[in-house]
Amino acid sequence: MSYFVTTEQANQVLSKLLETYDVYAPKRFPKQGRFSDTDIIRYAKVEKVDDIVYDEKSDFPAKEVINPIQQAIFYFTEDEFRASKGHTRPILLFARPCDINAQKVQARIFMDNGGYQDLYYARMRELINFVLMECPGGDDTCFCCSMGTNKTDNYVMAVRFGEDGLKVEVKDDKFAPYFEGAAADDFTPKFVEENQTKVTVPEIPDKDVLLALKNHPMWREFDKRCVSCGACTIACSTCTCFTTRDIVYGQNPEVGERHRIAASCQIDGFSDIAGGFGYRKTAGDRMRYKVLHKFHDYKVRFGEDMCVGCGRCTSRCPAYIPITATVGKMAAAAEEIKKEQGK
Amino acid sequence: MNHDINIGKVRTNCWRQSKVDGEFMLQLRVPGGVIPVEYLQYASEIATKWGDGNFHIGTRLTLDFPGIKYEDIPAVNKYLKKYIKGIEEDLCGVDMQKLAHEPHEWDEDSGYPTIGARNISACIGNRHCICGNVDTTDMARKLEALIFPSNYHIKINVAGCPNDCIKAHMADFGIVGVAKIDYHPERCIGCGACVKACKHGATRVLSLNELTGKIDKDPCCCVGCGECVKACPTAAWSRNPKKLYRVILGGRTGRQTPRTGKMFLNWVTEDVVLGVINNWQKFSAWALDYKPVYLHGGHLIDRAGYHEFKKRILEGVELNPEAMVAEQMFWHETEYRSNFNVKKPEDHLTAGPGSQG
Repeated sequence: MSYFVTTEQANQVLSKLLETYDVYAPKRFPKQGRFSDTDIIRYAKVEKVDDIVYDEKSDFPAKEVINPIQQAIFYFTEDEFRASKGHTRPILLFARPCDINAQKVQARIFMDNGGYQDLYYARMRELINFVLMECPGGDDTCFCCSMGTNKTDNYVMAVRFGEDGLKVEVKDDKFAPYFEGAAADDFTPKFVEENQTKVTVPEIPDKDVLLALKNHPMWREFDKRCVSCGACTIACSTCTCFTTRDIVYGQNPEVGERHRIAASCQIDGFSDIAGGFGYRKTAGDRMRYKVLHKFHDYKVRFGEDMCVGCGRCTSRCPAYIPITATVGKMAAAAEEIKKEQGK
Repeated sequence: MNHDINIGKVRTNCWRQSKVDGEFMLQLRVPGGVIPVEYLQYASEIATKWGDGNFHIGTRLTLDFPGIKYEDIPAVNKYLKKYIKGIEEDLCGVDMQKLAHEPHEWDEDSGYPTIGARNISACIGNRHCICGNVDTTDMARKLEALIFPSNYHIKINVAGCPNDCIKAHMADFGIVGVAKIDYHPERCIGCGACVKACKHGATRVLSLNELTGKIDKDPCCCVGCGECVKACPTAAWSRNPKKLYRVILGGRTGRQTPRTGKMFLNWVTEDVVLGVINNWQKFSAWALDYKPVYLHGGHLIDRAGYHEFKKRILEGVELNPEAMVAEQMFWHETEYRSNFNVKKPEDHLTAGPGSQG
């Protein structure tokens, strides 16, 4: 069942929903951008429909709600510990198809990998109800269609924002009562069918090609260009890597809390191991690792590419390194190698 | 050549004497160094019709036209009318019918009325620059309306950030855009990018706290540049939206006592900056005993002494809560001549009533 609600009605619906749900959506943080007088759009709790930024892609992904940049996982006192309680109220999470599909990718890592289910991800995911924000087309960094992540049916409601109101498809009946008395509409969400930017993921048929690609000189370009800040992985809808850090209370190292904090394969030191060895000591090596992971390695293991084509890594890169161009370069290098190896 | 030229009067109209007999160079004001490109047609016309076909970008960002004959000055002055009205009145909101804030008729065919208050220099600021904290063009235009036209000399340089590319430290007043920086620890991953950026490009005020994994900051020594914001991959640092400024005082070059300016005000709002500069005409008038002789502004501050200057320039200015003011001012001048200031008492330069003979 679909409805049309004016912005005023939508705010009334929202305030009713807020009695039961926490509502998270992309919100504008004025003048908090990297450069002066630029804004940041990131996920935060919203209490008014007007707070939701729908016509511009958020700088940071929806994953921040489910899998925050940092969270306390347990508290310890000498030999005892207690897990953090985490979020308790159910959540309505406004997200575009790329962000919703990204949670399939994250779920595989957290829930379906290594025979272990991650408690912190699992307990949060249980609370999440996606509200699909119909994507008005994204921007020139988007390439969801190339990655097959432009569509989803994983939502309880779908919304199209307009100047004078919202069109809402209520897919999960438990939300129907909130719209009692609202005007009926025939709205169903449309999905982006073509992006301005297209990406061809290279075919890497065997290990010899992969090894040659790994050693290809194309990666050396990034030794100089990439600043290894990790902004791409923080902005990434699917990256799951984290580290832990104990925060001790004052002077006593036996009392404190353990935090899970986002980590980045792009930051120097990520691959350092005991004895001082590091697997990827240059920016180019780290770039290669990331790109192959997103566009090859994950697929070998799980059957689908890890990237959802949201393009946020490109938008946030301070060094103007677009992932689309890098994948293009990798595809060209793979073709060159296959030709050389007669494949 | 036989000329009858009142050089002082010509200079007051922004014409500079040339070493070439009978020639002058026009200096067009470009407040903040930014003008709409349509105004370049005036530059082209002046250089082609009356000048030597070139223009020079002046050291204070003026557009200069050398090689103009003295005899052509009235025609050029007349031609300038549209440029002056467009830039000064329309862009900057200058009241051309005033002189040092007092009513004074301007003959619009006579070119620039004064040269005292120099063109306001500014870097491109945050309209373009990735480092800039403030809109320097906007600030320069607002300041222009406060200092021009006036026979009282003043040089103002406006820098968008503490990197100070425009050299605010070398002007009577250097206005520097600064930002208080907000920290969002919940977004911080402790990567240390900001620590490195601050160490490399600023004042080393950040350090990684090994106990918390978060950043400690020595706020006292933070210059407010925003390098940490630029470096942060997670937006854990952001500039506080309140626009603030640092005011550097008394920098100058020159044959006598060149020196770098020192910090006069820190973390002040635009209103404070405009209030201070608004008082400049009154301060200058008092210091020169109401006789606008051709004397560089920095020397007026010296003659009055810092404390007298401070009292007068801050008169009626309401400081914002964050504002800091220099209690003392210890400039360090280049000693071209040892004990430059030691001289007979009757040779001492003074300010205020009776000081100008």
